[in-house]
Amino acid sequence: MPYVPAPPASKYAPPRGHVDRDPSLSWLRRMRPILRSHAWLVGSGLLCAAATLALQIAIPRITMDAIDKALIARTHVLTPYVWAIAGLAVARFGLGFVYRLNLQRTALAIEYDLRNEVFSQFGRLSFSYFDRVQTGQLISRANSDIRSVQMFLAFAPTVAITMVSFVAALALMLSIHVTLALVAVATIPLVYVTGARMRSIMFPASWIVSSRMADVSTIVEENITGTRVVKSFAAEEHQLRLLARAAERLRWGNGLVVNMRAKYAPLMQNLPRIGSVLVLVYGGWLVIEGDVTVGALVAFNSYVMMLQAPFMMLGFIMTMGQRAAASAGRIFEIIDAPTDIEERPGAVDLVEPQGDLAFEDVRFAYGSGPEILRGFDLHLAPGETVALVGRTGTGKSTVARLVPRFYDVSSGTVRVDGHDVRDLTLASLRHHVGLVLDEPFLFSESVRDNIAYSRPDASAAEVEDAARAAGAHEFISELADGYATVIGERGYTLSGGQRQRIAIARTLLTNPRILVLDDATSAVDVQVESEIHDALRTLMQGRTTLVIAHRLSTISLADRVVLLVDGRILASGTHNELLATVPQYGQVLASAEEEYVRAHRKEVEV
Amino acid sequence: MAWGGGGFGGGPMGGPPGPTGLPFGGIPPEMQSGVERLLADEPDHGLPEVDFSHVPPETKPFTLGHFLRPHAPALALGIALVVVETLAAQAGPWLTGRAIDRGVLRGDFGVVLSIGLIYLAAVALHTVVLRVRTTQTGLLGQKLMYQLRLRVFAHIQRLSLDYFTDERAGRIMTRMTSDIEALSELLQDGIINLAVQALTLVIVVSVLFTIDAELAIVVLVAVVPIMTLMTLWFRSSSTKGYAAVRERIADVMADLQENLAGIRVVTAYNRQPVNTARHRDAVGRHRDANVRTARISAVYGPGAETVGALGTALILLVGGRLVLSDDLSVGELTAFVLYLATFFAPIQQLVQLYTTYQSGQAAIVKLRDLLGTAPSVVEAPDAYELPEIHGAITLEHVSFEYEHGRPVLRDVDLALVPGETLAVVGSTGAGKSTVAKLITRFYDPTAGRVLVDGHDIRGVTLRSLRRQLGVVPQEPFLFHGTIRDNVAFARPEATDEDVLEACAQVGLDDLVRRLPEGLDAPVFERGSSLSSGERQLLALARAMLARPRVLVLDEATSSLDLRSETIIDRALDAVLEGRTAIIIAHRLSTARRADRIAVVDSGRIVELGSHGELVAEGGTYAAMWATWESHLQDPHATHA
Repeated sequence: MPYVPAPPASKYAPPRGHVDRDPSLSWLRRMRPILRSHAWLVGSGLLCAAATLALQIAIPRITMDAIDKALIARTHVLTPYVWAIAGLAVARFGLGFVYRLNLQRTALAIEYDLRNEVFSQFGRLSFSYFDRVQTGQLISRANSDIRSVQMFLAFAPTVAITMVSFVAALALMLSIHVTLALVAVATIPLVYVTGARMRSIMFPASWIVSSRMADVSTIVEENITGTRVVKSFAAEEHQLRLLARAAERLRWGNGLVVNMRAKYAPLMQNLPRIGSVLVLVYGGWLVIEGDVTVGALVAFNSYVMMLQAPFMMLGFIMTMGQRAAASAGRIFEIIDAPTDIEERPGAVDLVEPQGDLAFEDVRFAYGSGPEILRGFDLHLAPGETVALVGRTGTGKSTVARLVPRFYDVSSGTVRVDGHDVRDLTLASLRHHVGLVLDEPFLFSESVRDNIAYSRPDASAAEVEDAARAAGAHEFISELADGYATVIGERGYTLSGGQRQRIAIARTLLTNPRILVLDDATSAVDVQVESEIHDALRTLMQGRTTLVIAHRLSTISLADRVVLLVDGRILASGTHNELLATVPQYGQVLASAEEEYVRAHRKEVEV
Repeated sequence: MAWGGGGFGGGPMGGPPGPTGLPFGGIPPEMQSGVERLLADEPDHGLPEVDFSHVPPETKPFTLGHFLRPHAPALALGIALVVVETLAAQAGPWLTGRAIDRGVLRGDFGVVLSIGLIYLAAVALHTVVLRVRTTQTGLLGQKLMYQLRLRVFAHIQRLSLDYFTDERAGRIMTRMTSDIEALSELLQDGIINLAVQALTLVIVVSVLFTIDAELAIVVLVAVVPIMTLMTLWFRSSSTKGYAAVRERIADVMADLQENLAGIRVVTAYNRQPVNTARHRDAVGRHRDANVRTARISAVYGPGAETVGALGTALILLVGGRLVLSDDLSVGELTAFVLYLATFFAPIQQLVQLYTTYQSGQAAIVKLRDLLGTAPSVVEAPDAYELPEIHGAITLEHVSFEYEHGRPVLRDVDLALVPGETLAVVGSTGAGKSTVAKLITRFYDPTAGRVLVDGHDIRGVTLRSLRRQLGVVPQEPFLFHGTIRDNVAFARPEATDEDVLEACAQVGLDDLVRRLPEGLDAPVFERGSSLSSGERQLLALARAMLARPRVLVLDEATSSLDLRSETIIDRALDAVLEGRTAIIIAHRLSTARRADRIAVVDSGRIVELGSHGELVAEGGTYAAMWATWESHLQDPHATHA
């Protein structure tokens, strides 16, 4: 049986291009291998864009000739001009379609590549990375930052091409009349400057508005979910005042946007019109002087409007570019993050291990934090069950995480069947080490898929056997859709004990030689606890098991108890031996379970 | 606040990432200076004074008309400005045509110049009027939204607890957020824009007809229907398309979220290759949905431009013939060509506005329903302030049902003398918590009455009643803010000493001293930064600060570790001292502490007495106690 379940067949191919690994390059340079893998889309898109804009420039030029030659001079027939315009219009549609679609598809393809690249990186990153960052932050990056890069890449080529078309149109106008052309573009710098001013307020102002909108939502949300508290303390009026303040702050923020729009939008709309006025007056004079034709006057009028657009977009794209660069930086930070846990070249597979587990003089610290394990030695013979006891924060759970190599030791060795775990392939090691956490994480998939998580190809009978052994078959059968019930869907919630048993079945199906049980802090009621313990006993049969004991009751599962103090093993023996001979053992238990132990002692005395 | 700073230049990573990049978690570094500049001018809004009453004001049903009527003069002014604005905006092509015919073609520069000046004046007028109008209607809209937010929120405060079911919570939230937003959009952009665009169409069409009716009809018949149909098609298919994109991106995010949350399981079971392929599927489906909408836009955008160009060709063809037969001047033809461009925006926008109008109207209906919902627990019109109480509580023949025909409490009689502690125990669903809800008047009994110091609680004001009862609800809900904000929830004006004293009473002062920020330490939503034991202590401190004469405590069902339970039990002993208290107990160790215990079964009190008496009696309670005790045995004893 392979250690790693085979990925399902998919019609979606993995990305062909990857981000350049050299972090010293600029963000666009780093994106180049990805862009190159979509060369055909980019190329055809850009080509069609250029053609589309050429046709757009041509139409006013033909209209000009039509007016001058067919309508005023009347030396030519009108219809060929009309057909030419109609023909160009139709051609423009086809080209415009390809241009828009392919440039959009490029940007979407890049988004696809980035999303997949970031996701596979998440799979490679070590746990020390996840300890440092918040999941919410990562998700936000994966979403909004990739989106902002995608939007920039979708938009930037269009702006680049319009800039080219601006130059072409300007050349055409200059060829008709130089000064009229210059007068026609005279207001463009003002359009650009006004646009830049507007954006310098627009983005911060919208940020203020959305953050204040979020504040209002928070107050409302908390007021609704905490409505009993509000009513209990008759705090309605205070809540209303809090909301009034948040709404007032939102109103002020929106006022910024209103004032910004009132100040700049009229200018942005009317500066091009001033260009039209100038063209009309100066052009009119030129026509009267006989320097240009009436048709040219009409054509210039169209060009004035056409030329402003790229400059309105230019400023916008520059702001977008800044944001995209910042976003790309945040995405690259994920991609560049070191992956600490890596397989050595020449790592061997762990094949049918006996289950001998040894910690030899292990030292460990999280990052640059204090040393948690200081010369930790522990040997578990195949099939043995050992409970690890210690005060909160002494590193019990850390020991559990070293076995499947979620972290590497700072010094010392963790051995499985005599192999240093760092000499083994990660997949084979993790295949043979089963980890059961107290707050079992189940995925929003069917119960069946959750149990068969490590072996998606497991048969229904195998899944059911595992569930039976874990004491889960009975309640699963009572669920509306049995094993097909999707967890979390339509309000299907399972109790803590039920979830734990499904997690145990999941581990049973993997059939690991070595088990690590980390039963963290949360408590379940006594009935459920004994059910879980029954399931655990089934699971532990014939396996080497390390139990991280946070509660007295879990100690009962073990053959032997070891006491962890100051990062090393202080004592080892049965529960009663330790209780009788090692005073610290009693103290450690007492600190966690004062009342429990008190009750226990009373019975012992009696 | 500390920001990560500009460390995101794409260079190598230097240290753990800072708090940047979270939506609203901090200002994105690239716009930090801009935000700070804007905020520098913000006045201190303070904490506004508001009037809140449990009795809803007498208002007419919420409709757009009723909502806007008080602002009719301001709206009328806005519409008047819109008329001037639109006329000024549409003068250009007509003036250009006149200048060509009267000036350019006749060689009279004086006419060209004077028309040019008129054009310039129109542009200036448009600039000024647009600015005034945008400010005026924009700020009016903001004022309306502010009032509406307060009005809806105040009404939500009035609604009784039965309204706040779990499945409704999301919907109430939507009323305050997206529905008000939809209405805001309608008021801000919708109504005024509707006026502008409709007016533009009317003006342009009348100008075109004045110039030449024949050409006007040809252009309108050829262009308007195609443009309208195209825009309608675009709206409906892109709306569908974007809905699909939103669904797909939600799938992508859900998959990502789950993989990150369950990263330990994913790693432990070697699932990365499978999950990477599955994530690729989700991302791929999202891309496909996006490509579909891109295709729709790629048809519509160039399509609209092509219709425009074909329109120009048509004007040239038909208009050109008219020019050749001298029925139309070149200037008039030019005006037609120029007006054609202004024709598209109104058509496109009016279709868009129809959608805005629909969602705004839907929002109005939903808000009307909410504002029309009457609270089920109402304050009597002649309600009086409950005088300072001693703490005697009496339930007389109290019956209660949430649903008709399914009684939860039946004819319950209960009397507490001031200072007495009563524990209510019973199995889940027996009606324990309902007792607490009736005393605090979250619900009114179906029959019978509840008296506090002899006052029927239906006759006193809700505020005076609840201010004198301290309630600790089952799930200790903490609000976003600091520890001080949360403890001082019932008395925001409390001093630090008061807050610290309340913390000390429940044994939370240790924690406060340990935290570097002390009372200012932030508590996050759902209190995730505190342990569940600390959250319960905080909830207890909150009740203490209210200095209640009567404490109603609904014990949390989810169990705590024993250490926390011990601390809480100790805190309770201090808190209950000298107070009348009703404890809805889930743990018998709590119940045991009470002066008397009431056992509730099927809505009736079946046993009532002290712990010792009830155990001796050998009834329901004695049996419960026996089971409870057996749970406390040594684990080895059961498996020896």
